[in-house]
Amino acid sequence: MMTLLLQTSVLDINYVAIWPMIILSISGIAVLLFGIAKDPVHRDMSMIGIVGFVLAGVATGRLWLPVKTVGQIRAFSNMVIIDHFSLYFFFIFIIIGLLTLLISASFLEAERLPVGEFYSLVMFAVVGMMLMAAAGHLVMIFLGLEIASISTYALAGYRRNDLRSNESAIKYFVLGSAATAFLLYGMALIYGATGSAELEGIRTAIIDNVNAATKQPVHTELLFLGAAMMLVGFSFKVSAVPFHLWTPDVYEGAPSSVTAFMATASKAAAFAAFLRVFVFCFVPGYGQGLHSAWTTSLETIAILTMIAGNIAALTQHNFKRMLAYSSIAHAGYALVGLIADDWQAVAFYLLTYSITNIGAFGLITYLAGRGDRETEIDDLAGLGFNNLGVSIAMLILLLSLAGIPLTAGFMGKFIVFKAAWQKGFHVAVIVAVVTSAVSVYYYLRPMVIMFFRELKVEPKRLPLPTGVLVTVVLSILGTFYLGVMPGRLFQAMENAKVSFVQSR
Amino acid sequence: MVPLSWYLVLSAVLFTLGAVGLFVKRNIISIFMCIELMLNAVNLSLVAFSSFLKHLDGQLFVFMVMVVAAAEAGVGLALIISVFRNRESVDIDKLNLLKM
Repeated sequence: MMTLLLQTSVLDINYVAIWPMIILSISGIAVLLFGIAKDPVHRDMSMIGIVGFVLAGVATGRLWLPVKTVGQIRAFSNMVIIDHFSLYFFFIFIIIGLLTLLISASFLEAERLPVGEFYSLVMFAVVGMMLMAAAGHLVMIFLGLEIASISTYALAGYRRNDLRSNESAIKYFVLGSAATAFLLYGMALIYGATGSAELEGIRTAIIDNVNAATKQPVHTELLFLGAAMMLVGFSFKVSAVPFHLWTPDVYEGAPSSVTAFMATASKAAAFAAFLRVFVFCFVPGYGQGLHSAWTTSLETIAILTMIAGNIAALTQHNFKRMLAYSSIAHAGYALVGLIADDWQAVAFYLLTYSITNIGAFGLITYLAGRGDRETEIDDLAGLGFNNLGVSIAMLILLLSLAGIPLTAGFMGKFIVFKAAWQKGFHVAVIVAVVTSAVSVYYYLRPMVIMFFRELKVEPKRLPLPTGVLVTVVLSILGTFYLGVMPGRLFQAMENAKVSFVQSR
Repeated sequence: MVPLSWYLVLSAVLFTLGAVGLFVKRNIISIFMCIELMLNAVNLSLVAFSSFLKHLDGQLFVFMVMVVAAAEAGVGLALIISVFRNRESVDIDKLNLLKM
């Protein structure tokens, strides 16, 4: 293992560093090829997908210790940086991808949709997200983002004959591509200002105030304009106010399992790239006030996001739409961690949020029934009487999203708010606390309807599919584990090594 | 030699035209073309910077952007076709099922 980690050539080709991506790509292609067989067996394809994700997880785990001793592994001439930051996000993406496969199996079977393409698109999207988290160069962020986004556009429109799915995909495609264009323009301007497209080169250029290519001072206007453009692009991707308008429509119209994937993994990936560029490159004290400029504007965006997301969620009648607004609000909380320059807090928050949300959406895929239709909150009426297990599971997950103590949601919020308070962002933290108190109302409403309203028509619901059951059980276990004893994970993150940050 | 700022201004103008078109146009295909215009405006900046800085990364970036734009066109046109099949229209204003 260790010998393989040595540089293999001048080109710095290092396959060990990208093993997780290679495994996922190969298994994605394998599932795709299997799908065109004469009579594809669903179970076999699910197995290939699950095995692919598990192997990718093992490969990621095997990189953890080498990174601990070496500090970081750079491959392909600094294009890919494997450090604990990227490995941590790899784990989030792999867990979410695996659980997405599990919750979508029964849905795809019931709707008679092709399985192979769906699974492979999820896997390719995860590969793109991994590249975003491990990017050492602006072009890698762009490529990873596009691999992930293009796969997700196709997934959002996966029910080709359904008008709502079509509409969701088109809206996501148009606004997502526009956001990409803004991000790309920002990248181009930063490249011009600093003379380097490598993240470390940008960081050094800003710190030394020297354009890496021309050896002249960094062009401040171009740098600020580029940073602002990238801020807009990333805000679109994490659905922060005022760039959040696509989120409710897209989340409502897409198939529920795809919504689960978009609300968790896509968001985490966007935050990973956001952290890489803004926290690790635009460092405090240099670049003529670049750091204070971006933190101030992001603080405003975070406050607006928390207020608008939570208030809009109060009035929703559709469960998926409500969770879409809730995910906007959660992006606001994560942004509070981002302005505090604390990647550990943001990453931990994203893990808690993703673990909880994937379980909640898993239950929605089951409750939505045939055609993914019954997603109104009123459709839950009387669920507490005829399916106690499912309603209690939903209760726990919604309480975790609301941030009630003993659950993961509380721990995540606590860590983020503490980090931001210590850095002096008192207004943002106060708004965050008040809005999370408000959010309890809309998380409690489905529960009231489940337990205290008589059901009118006996719904014809099938037994809970195994995949959904496994996902929900894992999600609830994760929720309690992270909420009650997050100590070990914290310790691992405290000792985590991030490349080119500690070196200065 | 044409100074760098001319290229940058042209690129900014093209990008703005694309961004404005995105909000003004009603036909999905025109919107799609506006997105392509924005991406190509960025390509112009990247090439200009690359030549000005004498640094090859910008040229490489442009190739990647072109590849990605082609992939995006593939998926985007497929989505537009599936919308057209279901609705016989590519007017973005008619996509209004998902509202509060």
